[in-house]
Amino acid sequence: MVTITELPTRPRDVRPRRRIGMRQRLGRWDVKVSPYLYISPFFVLFAITGLFPLLYTAVVSLHKWNLLTGEGPFVGLKNYVDVLHQPFFWKALRNTFSIFALSTIPQIIIALVIAAVLNANLRARTFWRMGVLVPYVVAPVAVAMIFGQIFSDQSGMMNAILSKVGISPVGWHSNVLASHLAIANMVNYRWTGYNTLVILAAMQAIPNLIFVIITSTIGGLQIFDEPTMFDQQNSATTAGGADGQFVTVTMYLYQLGWGSQNNLGRSAAVAWLLFLVILAISLVNYWFTNRIASDSGAVRRARKVRS
Amino acid sequence: MHKSRTVWAAAAGLTGIALAVTGCSTGSSSNSASTASSGGKVTLKVQTFNEFGYADLFTEYMKDHPNVTIVSDKAAKSDDARASVKNSIATSTVTDDIVAADVDWMPELLKSSDFFADVKTTDNAKRWPDWKMAQATDASGKLIGLGTDSGPQGVCYRKDLFQKAGLPTDRAQVATLLGGSSATWDQYFATGQKFMAANTGAAWFDSLGALAQVANNQQAEPFESKSDDSITVGKSDSNASKVFTMLTSHTDQSAHLAQWTDDWTKAFASDKFATVMCPAWMTQIIAGDAPDQKNWDIADVLPGGSSNWGGSFLLVPAKGKNVTEAKALADWLTAPAQAAKVFVKFGNFPSQTDAVKDATVTAKTDTYFNNAPTGQIFSNRFSAVSKQPYRGSHYFDINDQFGKALTRVDVDKTDNAAASWQKFLDAVKQLG
Repeated sequence: MVTITELPTRPRDVRPRRRIGMRQRLGRWDVKVSPYLYISPFFVLFAITGLFPLLYTAVVSLHKWNLLTGEGPFVGLKNYVDVLHQPFFWKALRNTFSIFALSTIPQIIIALVIAAVLNANLRARTFWRMGVLVPYVVAPVAVAMIFGQIFSDQSGMMNAILSKVGISPVGWHSNVLASHLAIANMVNYRWTGYNTLVILAAMQAIPNLIFVIITSTIGGLQIFDEPTMFDQQNSATTAGGADGQFVTVTMYLYQLGWGSQNNLGRSAAVAWLLFLVILAISLVNYWFTNRIASDSGAVRRARKVRS
Repeated sequence: MHKSRTVWAAAAGLTGIALAVTGCSTGSSSNSASTASSGGKVTLKVQTFNEFGYADLFTEYMKDHPNVTIVSDKAAKSDDARASVKNSIATSTVTDDIVAADVDWMPELLKSSDFFADVKTTDNAKRWPDWKMAQATDASGKLIGLGTDSGPQGVCYRKDLFQKAGLPTDRAQVATLLGGSSATWDQYFATGQKFMAANTGAAWFDSLGALAQVANNQQAEPFESKSDDSITVGKSDSNASKVFTMLTSHTDQSAHLAQWTDDWTKAFASDKFATVMCPAWMTQIIAGDAPDQKNWDIADVLPGGSSNWGGSFLLVPAKGKNVTEAKALADWLTAPAQAAKVFVKFGNFPSQTDAVKDATVTAKTDTYFNNAPTGQIFSNRFSAVSKQPYRGSHYFDINDQFGKALTRVDVDKTDNAAASWQKFLDAVKQLG
């Protein structure tokens, strides 16, 4: 029972109680703030290297902007309109999807098979796992030379083989589909091993295999190196075939901004259009994987019930 | 091909653009890579590409100037060097005290001529012919680049194939055959017709694109009007359409081999074509690509008169920390005596009037080309060059499209001449 005489004792209690309060408050902050601190490096880095450039690119795309002479007047969506009216952009988009499909689909199938093999109890497992990564570390210059020799239109190995079996030579640099197949070969050579290891990791640790596969290959829409290397007669600022047979969106973006046009405004518009395309595909992917990924969905439902 | 774990990596891919333009807009201050330490010691960083032949000269200069240390910053490809120069302008940062630039980059660099120091002195003002100086002079008359080499053109030909076709093989006779000092394109193609009629199995030249490089450079205003920089290719009787028609009507004499492709490189060793337009630097390429083919020779003649293809400059960024020392080094490197040394050892033909007449230059012969007096021949070809085609704001984009238009007809055979010309005009219209 509380009596008045007990009251004077209260100030004495204040100090320890305050100390407890402080500790509790710190504890509460720790619980509330620490998780954010722990994950903050990613967000800080992302803000600097991801979000800021993304927004800045949007600003650039709304201006007339020269790489060398800098910012010009605000032009609204004119750069987007210009780009969308250029047949070359649509050609580049078509080529990007075509090369993406021709390289990604066989690549994933092959990588899945190899990963399944590597996942088995092989002898000298590490050797094989390292082995599949070898093409990935071959210098791009060497890759360009090898594939240049194979797919030369007149003196190439591939056409020599084809003529042996009675097939007329293929214009690897002039025929749209042929050029895409040749480049897809180059992509597959370089990246199948890499994807094999990603898939292998997914098989061993992460349950949602499909999500891993799609997210690890969607970057293929940014294809740039292989088609650029494939065009021997042009520099990176003009590569892609005499009729744009194998120019891709990122090549087009680079040529607009860093070629002799120096048109950074249009280049930024292309970058944003590509971003929107990738975003759209990612959303479809997200929806798709959520629909079919029954196990993680079950977990989420279970959590919902508990909360 | 980039690989990204998440869609956001796409955003990261845009970093380059934003970082480039950010630096540009904020006008960030320069931070020179060179370090001027106490005691008057300076380190000069020199960016070059391919082979400028400067290693010995650097050593010599450092011996004569003990306070100077020269660091060579050689780009793997000329593409990389170009991107590096442009990014340094865009971000207003100085990474090298001296940067080398190909003549093809000069028009865009001249638009940012403020970024570079004026390198003209009373001493070097008469070092180069007017056309070479014009390539590095901005509208206000400021010289931003000191000329290094040049590419005067002759005609390289295959003696054995000429003999097979019943044509003369001696280089003086070949020069006369093609018209000597009054050589025309008509005569070149007429001779080509004779050659083709002999059915040697070889073509007369490598590709239309290779000839276009010469023919367009011989026009005073190939694609644009000098008076107002407007694009003229769309007019029915434009210079470009005349060149295009002339070339595409001789597709039958072409080997259909686009320059710089693997097929083209290999063709120098085999019997694919009998002539090739030959700037001085091309002799090294032929000798390198076909070391065992002993039948290449060179004639002191060029269809349509004369032409220069290529050549470079040394530029000094104005905001570098050691501009004075950098200018002195660039000036010394491009002085006639040094240019002559580079030619003798590396074959880069000089662009300095005195160097071209230098006895060590004119006395040089080339064993690969049957001991042809290449020094004297290119000296003659150099003296014949008198004009510089007008290169406006869109020159290189149009030139690129022009080359692709010819490739479509000649190499890829995806379009006929008329359709390809229409595509060319459409592409030019899209330039922003």
